[in-house]
Amino acid sequence: MVFSSLLFTFAFLPVTIIVYYSLGEHYKNIVLLTASLFFYAWGEPVYVLLMYSSILINYCLGRCIEKAGDNRRKKNFLLITSLLLNLGCLAYFKYFGMIINTMATFGGWDLNITTPVLPIGISFYTFQTLSYVIDVYGNRIRAQSSLVLCALYITMFPQLVAGPIVKYIDIESQLSVRSMNFIKFRSGLRRFLCGLGKKVLLANNIGLIWSDVKAMPGIEVSVVMAWAGIIAFTLQIYFDFSGYSDMAIGLGKMLGFRFKENFKYPYIAESISEFWRRWHISLGSWFKEYVYIPLGGSRTTKWKVIRNLFAVWFLTGLWHGASWNFVLWGLYFGTLIFLEKLFLYKWILQWPKVVRHIYLLMLVVIGWVFFEFTNLSDTLNFLRIMFGVAGNGIIDYQGIVMLKSYAGLYIVCIIGTSPWPKKIALLLKRVHFNIYRLVEILYYCTLMFISTAYMVGSTFNPFIYFRF
Amino acid sequence: MGEKKMRKYNSMQKVVSISPFLFILTALILHLTLPSKTFSIEERRYLAQWPDFYIENVLNGSYETKVETYFSDQFPYRNFWLYIHESSNRVLLKK
Repeated sequence: MVFSSLLFTFAFLPVTIIVYYSLGEHYKNIVLLTASLFFYAWGEPVYVLLMYSSILINYCLGRCIEKAGDNRRKKNFLLITSLLLNLGCLAYFKYFGMIINTMATFGGWDLNITTPVLPIGISFYTFQTLSYVIDVYGNRIRAQSSLVLCALYITMFPQLVAGPIVKYIDIESQLSVRSMNFIKFRSGLRRFLCGLGKKVLLANNIGLIWSDVKAMPGIEVSVVMAWAGIIAFTLQIYFDFSGYSDMAIGLGKMLGFRFKENFKYPYIAESISEFWRRWHISLGSWFKEYVYIPLGGSRTTKWKVIRNLFAVWFLTGLWHGASWNFVLWGLYFGTLIFLEKLFLYKWILQWPKVVRHIYLLMLVVIGWVFFEFTNLSDTLNFLRIMFGVAGNGIIDYQGIVMLKSYAGLYIVCIIGTSPWPKKIALLLKRVHFNIYRLVEILYYCTLMFISTAYMVGSTFNPFIYFRF
Repeated sequence: MGEKKMRKYNSMQKVVSISPFLFILTALILHLTLPSKTFSIEERRYLAQWPDFYIENVLNGSYETKVETYFSDQFPYRNFWLYIHESSNRVLLKK
């Protein structure tokens, strides 16, 4: 049940909200936990047991680590147990197939092993669980004494399946006490609608261009179409993911929580390091806090700093999917950030703002080519087409037609990645508060209306070969 | 404005400002009260009905998928929404 499905928006959400608010303060966490477990079981009726056991084990381990007090050896043993269990699970479900395939390629074996199906959200909830156990180990937080609250932290449906990765330390106090009021509910609802619109109106539609370009045989793709396609993907992945994060943050707010932001206009950045401080912030800060800094961060010898940097980027790439192209994509950014640290950044600072911005966008767009094609030769072929060395035409008729019909959507999407719409809204709010309020209400009503049409439209499924 | 009138005005504004949520609630109530349709002339096919409950279907996920299909197939005024979708596609994407 994804957030942008009719069943979620028009059944699960209103029912949960009504029960949550009508049973009141005392039952709020029980209601939310029940709803979240139902939500997960709906998508993973069997692997929900895996999540149950993971929660139970880590809850116990957390408590044992705290009880162990100053007994270092016992504490270390418990932490390692937790790391092995959590990462082992993740490795088995997510990377088993990749490991087997790689070994088969290099060893020349013919292995015929069925690989496990990836349980929904395992990458996200494993990282959340780890942040809890590691912070208990480091005495940064108290272990949670209530199993309900511990389970609620992991399973809370807004962030369960696609993040943001909420750290326990950030949400600890809100689990037991949080304010729930009308203003918060309304702004949460609006945030949810923004995310829904980003997903069903922008991401899904601009994504059609990329799937068309990707489906074309390599020879027929012209240079302009290749760029138009990958730019469409660049926009699609941003609106898809940041839309999902908006929905999660909004849903959290409707329930009284305050999650940290996950995206801050990444495409307006002017260097790769800045881009990664604006893109999927919760993942970046997780790796920084639980991998980079424990390894010594940047306060150690020069070689170790380099090792730490590349370790983080190798893992960041790998986290995105069980395929080597993601690792390559991670290392691509690792290398760029390394170069920026080394000399490039000082250099960039002397460039005009526009050039810095173009530099960033070019490299990010090229990065998405690595991200999108699982096969290295496809990636290289596509890059060759983009840079006109594959001998493909510059532009084709079909491409012109397509660009013409999608021009408006491109413009809307590009404006949507910038902070301008928000700035204009704030300006209107300052100048004409009453008009602002009216526009705001109309805007959200329209968004709801059109999004509903697109959600229903996506299930349009005419039977073409019907004989009357 | 009198105090009573003011309060009434304020609560009216509150209700209006969360009208998308009221819209969601209305759609859900209509979904529950309107009778299920069996056939769609526009899509030339039979619409999904509420699936029978079998525990094995729940475990392999097909029950859940069928419920989602039922929910979207029987969405209140489905044809109206399809019409809005199609026309806005025509206007916005010139398809």
